[in-house]
Amino acid sequence: MAYNGFAGFGEDAMDGVETSGPKVTVRDVEQDRCDFVLQSCSLAMANSLRRAILAEIPTIAVDLVDIITNSSVLPDEYLAHRLALIPLMSKGVGENLNYTRDCDRCDDHCEYCSVVLRLHARCTRPGTMMVYARDLTVAEPRQDAIGTPVIRDVDGTGPLIAKLRQGQEIHLECIAKKGIAKEHAKWAPTAAVGFEYDPNNKLRHLDYWYETDAKEEWPVDERNATWEGDETAADATFDPDAVPSAFFFDVEGVGTLEPDDIVRGGIEVIQKKLAETIKVLGGVGAAGVDAMNGDQSPDAYEPAPADGGYGSYGALRGGATPYGTTPYGAGGYGSY
Amino acid sequence: MKEDGKGEKHGRKPYHHTDSFDAALEPFYYDKSLTDPIDTARDKWNLLPAFLKVKGLVKQHIDSFNHFVEVELKKIIDAEPVITSDIDPDFYIKYENIYVGKPRRYDEHMGDFRDSKEESTVTPNECRLRDMTYAAPILVDIRYTKSKVAYRRKGMPIGRLPIMLRSSKCVLANKSEAEMCAMDECPLDPGGYFIVNGTEKVILVQEQLSKNRIIVEADAKKELITASVTSSTHARKSKSYIVLKKDMLYMRHNILNEDVPICILLKAMGVTSDMDMMAIVAGKDMTLQDDFAINFEETIKLGIHTQQQALDYLGARIKITRKPTPFGQSRRNYVQEALEAVSNVFIAHVPIENLNFRPKAIYVAHMARRVLMAKQNPALVDDRDYVGNKRLELAGQLLSLLFEDLFKKYNYDIKMNMDKVLRKPNRTEMADPCTVMMGHANHITQGMNRAIATGNWNLKRFRMDRAGVTHLLSRLSFIASLGMMTRISSQFEKTRKVSGPRALQPSSFGMLCPADTPEGEACGLVKNLALMTHITTDDEEDPIKRLIFMLGAEDVATVGGSELYAPGSYLVLLNGTPVATTRHPSQFLTSFRRLRRSGRISEFVSIFINHHHSTIHVATDEGRICRPLIIVEDKKSKVTKRYLKSLRQGSMDFDDFLARGLVEYLDVNEENDSNIALYESNINATTTHLEIEPFTILGAVAGLIPYPHHNQSPRNTYQCAMGKQAIGFIANNQFLRIDTLLYLMVYPQKPLVTTRTIELVKYDKLPAGQNATVAVMSYSGYDIEDALVLNKASVDRGYGRCQALRKYPVSLKLYANGSKDTIEGPTMENGVPIKAHALLDEDGIASVGAKVSQGEVYVNKYIPENSNSSGLSDAGSNSLGASLIPQAQKYRLYDHSYIDKVMVSEVESGNQLIKIQTRQTRLPEVGDKFSSRHGQKGVVGIIAEQVDMPFSDRGITPDIIMNPHGFPSRMTVGKMLELVAGKAGIVKGKFEYGTAFGGSKLEDLSRALLEAGYSYDGKDYLTSGTTGEPLPAYVFMGPIYYQKLKHMVQDKMHSRSRGPRAILTRQPTEGRSRDGGLRLGEMERDCLIAYGASQLLRERLMLSSDKHEVDVCESCGFMAFGRWCQRCSTAGEPGSNVVRMTLPYAFKLLLNELGSMNVNTRLIVSDEFPADGSRRA
Repeated sequence: MAYNGFAGFGEDAMDGVETSGPKVTVRDVEQDRCDFVLQSCSLAMANSLRRAILAEIPTIAVDLVDIITNSSVLPDEYLAHRLALIPLMSKGVGENLNYTRDCDRCDDHCEYCSVVLRLHARCTRPGTMMVYARDLTVAEPRQDAIGTPVIRDVDGTGPLIAKLRQGQEIHLECIAKKGIAKEHAKWAPTAAVGFEYDPNNKLRHLDYWYETDAKEEWPVDERNATWEGDETAADATFDPDAVPSAFFFDVEGVGTLEPDDIVRGGIEVIQKKLAETIKVLGGVGAAGVDAMNGDQSPDAYEPAPADGGYGSYGALRGGATPYGTTPYGAGGYGSY
Repeated sequence: MKEDGKGEKHGRKPYHHTDSFDAALEPFYYDKSLTDPIDTARDKWNLLPAFLKVKGLVKQHIDSFNHFVEVELKKIIDAEPVITSDIDPDFYIKYENIYVGKPRRYDEHMGDFRDSKEESTVTPNECRLRDMTYAAPILVDIRYTKSKVAYRRKGMPIGRLPIMLRSSKCVLANKSEAEMCAMDECPLDPGGYFIVNGTEKVILVQEQLSKNRIIVEADAKKELITASVTSSTHARKSKSYIVLKKDMLYMRHNILNEDVPICILLKAMGVTSDMDMMAIVAGKDMTLQDDFAINFEETIKLGIHTQQQALDYLGARIKITRKPTPFGQSRRNYVQEALEAVSNVFIAHVPIENLNFRPKAIYVAHMARRVLMAKQNPALVDDRDYVGNKRLELAGQLLSLLFEDLFKKYNYDIKMNMDKVLRKPNRTEMADPCTVMMGHANHITQGMNRAIATGNWNLKRFRMDRAGVTHLLSRLSFIASLGMMTRISSQFEKTRKVSGPRALQPSSFGMLCPADTPEGEACGLVKNLALMTHITTDDEEDPIKRLIFMLGAEDVATVGGSELYAPGSYLVLLNGTPVATTRHPSQFLTSFRRLRRSGRISEFVSIFINHHHSTIHVATDEGRICRPLIIVEDKKSKVTKRYLKSLRQGSMDFDDFLARGLVEYLDVNEENDSNIALYESNINATTTHLEIEPFTILGAVAGLIPYPHHNQSPRNTYQCAMGKQAIGFIANNQFLRIDTLLYLMVYPQKPLVTTRTIELVKYDKLPAGQNATVAVMSYSGYDIEDALVLNKASVDRGYGRCQALRKYPVSLKLYANGSKDTIEGPTMENGVPIKAHALLDEDGIASVGAKVSQGEVYVNKYIPENSNSSGLSDAGSNSLGASLIPQAQKYRLYDHSYIDKVMVSEVESGNQLIKIQTRQTRLPEVGDKFSSRHGQKGVVGIIAEQVDMPFSDRGITPDIIMNPHGFPSRMTVGKMLELVAGKAGIVKGKFEYGTAFGGSKLEDLSRALLEAGYSYDGKDYLTSGTTGEPLPAYVFMGPIYYQKLKHMVQDKMHSRSRGPRAILTRQPTEGRSRDGGLRLGEMERDCLIAYGASQLLRERLMLSSDKHEVDVCESCGFMAFGRWCQRCSTAGEPGSNVVRMTLPYAFKLLLNELGSMNVNTRLIVSDEFPADGSRRA
């Protein structure tokens, strides 16, 4: 299973680590899960990978909803939020789809930067009708299936969107766009990323309180502990200069991307960021990096505004002050 | 990508299925199947759901209202059933029966009632939406004469009575869940309130000192001992005192000019012999005799020996307040006056028959005896705060008083009206009493409505003038409305600084919730009922009286004075009045109780013995708090496995347990006479009862707290206040309601750590909060002072999301002159509506789903210019209401909303009513308030990126990070236990219990955690999200149920630079709603003074506020105008000495106001820097 990763750059920066470059040992792979050990890299590197996996891999999710009819009990915003959280097939989004804001082929959105999904459900019979993610249809199915709802459950229904009673109807059009989880968690490709190193606490990064016996009271992950081998057991002689060497990752996806893509995507994000840095600094590798994926700037995402403007009211808050657009006299304050 | 197009393959056939809620709702024996083994010690709590099933959570209100409708109404008409006329002796109207019909709309009851087969389709929700009163007609059967012919009429309406929801007359009574849903009514709504003019009103339970009972109190300062009794009958209310002043006993009463020696009063009551007097007061007790003997001196000194003399003496001291009667009846003499007072005014609740004053004399003597006993032994005074001396007044009683008053007035009006008609010498048409009665029906309807709508109970006859009896039912959360139904408000003044009434009384154990009381001024005065309480309604006294005699007690009226207080004999008091004596008190007690347990008398009749007073008290009156307990006989609980089994199978219910004498109700007084074991293991030889379940000492609101017995007690009290502010689900019909302001949570969850109470009150069906994964650690510095750190990814996924729904009612009035308000379509400009009218549909009302922002019009209303004149005076302009003034309803909030609902209807007055509901969906933002269930509130300090948050080795990131400094001083151990229990529940995949005095055990929880690979103490090894290094300490992490509270930044944020000013003072207005300024208050001012920042102070207090330029005349000191002093114009050189100065307008106003009170003020001005003179005007 184990294979050697590519030769990294800047190996000289990593003290006490083999210079052969980071090494990945995949221990376990399931449909949505990947358990691997990252070796021969620094802690900072490993954590960067974790952070990239968690927040910066581009995926596709519903971003705009045009509501044509909604006579269900759920209000429009409610429905839109539910739709946004439905996992959509995102394999290849990184390469094959533009960010809408960067798309030069359209003013609003187009097939190169978005996928349109439609939902039309009407309950005509007595009783409750369930509207599921499988009822979402891609308006123009793509070759690479980007944007189709991910359906994995036994019944083949996908997540529940709404329930309808007789006479109620939902008719809407969703525009799914590319994005990253830093902007909104709906673009997160993972449910959770497990991360651990030095399970036996040989490095003494931990100095934990215990009642009688730390070993008994603090359960360790047996698999990780034995993987490291006896020489790293907690009671081995303490080397104050030792650095962590193996990082245990447990990546669990939500289904939009395969775990393999998730990890690769994470690496790619880091690569691009580093490449951009090098390029900006006019480093040696600048030319080579440019060839890689020049059109995508690592800073392309827009970080959430610092003023907490991710709320639906955030955008308006600036102008919606008491002294907003209307002068106070005309603002309907004539009642006193 | 195997899943490609899977959805397609299955086709787009959404399948139908029915929600099977019933299965989850039906078995009230939670997580117990019929075949599970029964353990009486553990399963006896099953009686509680059985109790609640029979009684419901607001049974006290509903029972009381039902009692009023079914019993009290009849008593009120029976008290005075006939209306006669002073003019025509043949005329009469006699009430034969009274009853309340089914709820109807206001316009439905005008028809004939005899063919009322057609049921009204009115529902409570229709009344809420259409601003109607949910009321039913009060119908009477009458006999009356018309032209000397007797008629009879049935079902004659005399008014409309607002109907309590879920009472026996309500359309919701005995309806199934499905039927309720069909009526747009929430099956979980407790009912017990009224709907008046569309608003839900609760009549709060009122706490009072018990009526018709003797209370002995000592005043240490004045060396007084008083026995007082507040007599209350249907006819009158009065308070009588027996006072011990300087070792002498006196009677004190409002109608007496001075205190009357008790011996004179007793003589006036026919106890003429001193020996008899001594016997009925002191009995054979030598010390009491010595203390009483001194009182004879006074009578002898005054030379009063006979009853006649005593009455004369008494009559002379009675205040004359009575107005002369219309017939000019001569003033009664002193004896008559005294007789009247003795029989009807003093201690009015003891009935006098045939001028036999003996029972009343015994009562007075008993009061005197109690005073003397208290003198002997100061411990024998009564405690006003003792719950046994309290009575709770409920909706039924208050309505009964109100109705009685209105009904009497109604009858008086009818009599007056009929007299007027009958007085006419030649009537063309015989007056029909029915039409007169119909004409006055509005009086009762209006009176009832007004009282409930305003909460003002103004009853002159009872000198009752109470405000704030009713309250608007809080619909902030389900718990808020439930908490309101169990609330008890006290009659004590809030300003008084006595701690007694506010303190927690030991006698309230099991009756009143020890945790649920507000903080601040109403602390301890507003209380809440515990879970398993019942408030009694009135029971018939006469059968009980007969029973007392049947059980061998001797009538006090027949026994001689000497036997009354014979040693070893006990006085039997029925509702505080001595009725009999017995020599075998314990035998009497047991046989009485046996009869009650066998169901021969009402289960709410209480009996207890007082050995200090040698009395047995029997109570049948209303308003006593009582609770059920299991009977223990021969050291064995009477509730056995067998019965619990039948209970679970459903072959027995709570009433069967009562009927079989397994369980009985005890009121506070009888509880004091019992020995109650808390657990079955505590039963010993003297035990008489067994608690059903300890957690029932808490109320419904405190019952939400998991592990409350591990918390510091004020924390539970804080949670009780905050649970009512939590945003969640309000009711199942929440989307069908249009409330002024409604906050709803988008994804509420039922708590992972639940309690039995939560299940019983169905909080798990209408929850208000979410289970957040909480890490107790410090993070980023944005979490100091109880601030919370929220995970942005959680917020993105819907954590803490809520909706704010707001109502904007618009009413289109019809005016007397025929003109009316109208709405018109949008004003067009170039074929498109003007900007402000962009939302409007053709009908002039904003369309549903439209986004509405500040300044936009949602109803384009116009009012007529002239709504008063008849239009006749303006010749020519016959266009009534043609000239219209626009009064467009504009949206005024800073943040936009969406139109959620539009309702168009008509109210009772015929005006058209438009209700518009707007909706906002709000995400948590910095500054929003959250709280756990342990009185730990905090605001959001920062919303952090998920990648930056700490995470466990399994990749779990917390939703909330809470600062650990919240724990040491608050000592909310219950919260820690909730976390551990929640975490254990997750790994086990089930809900854990945190029920008070029970709940899942920490040891079991820790074991479950250990088995699942977690640390046993709930701590986790976390890694920093920013560096990837482990955090230097293990972190306590797990799920805690968090509530989002209604205080949100969006509703409060406010700033202003310039803006509106108040007209009178010209100072900036106050408050956000008026775009007001931010006040630089006294204390801030003090700081600036202390610092010496005089120019800043000048700027803040005057220049930026209400600066005003005035001209002041230097010579006269008055304000001039236009540099011309009117006053000084003749003297000297006008104008030259007028200076201009700046002062606060409020000061100028002060001078004007002083002037209006004839106080002259002169401004003596001098130049502070006179050098250059440039400052001169």
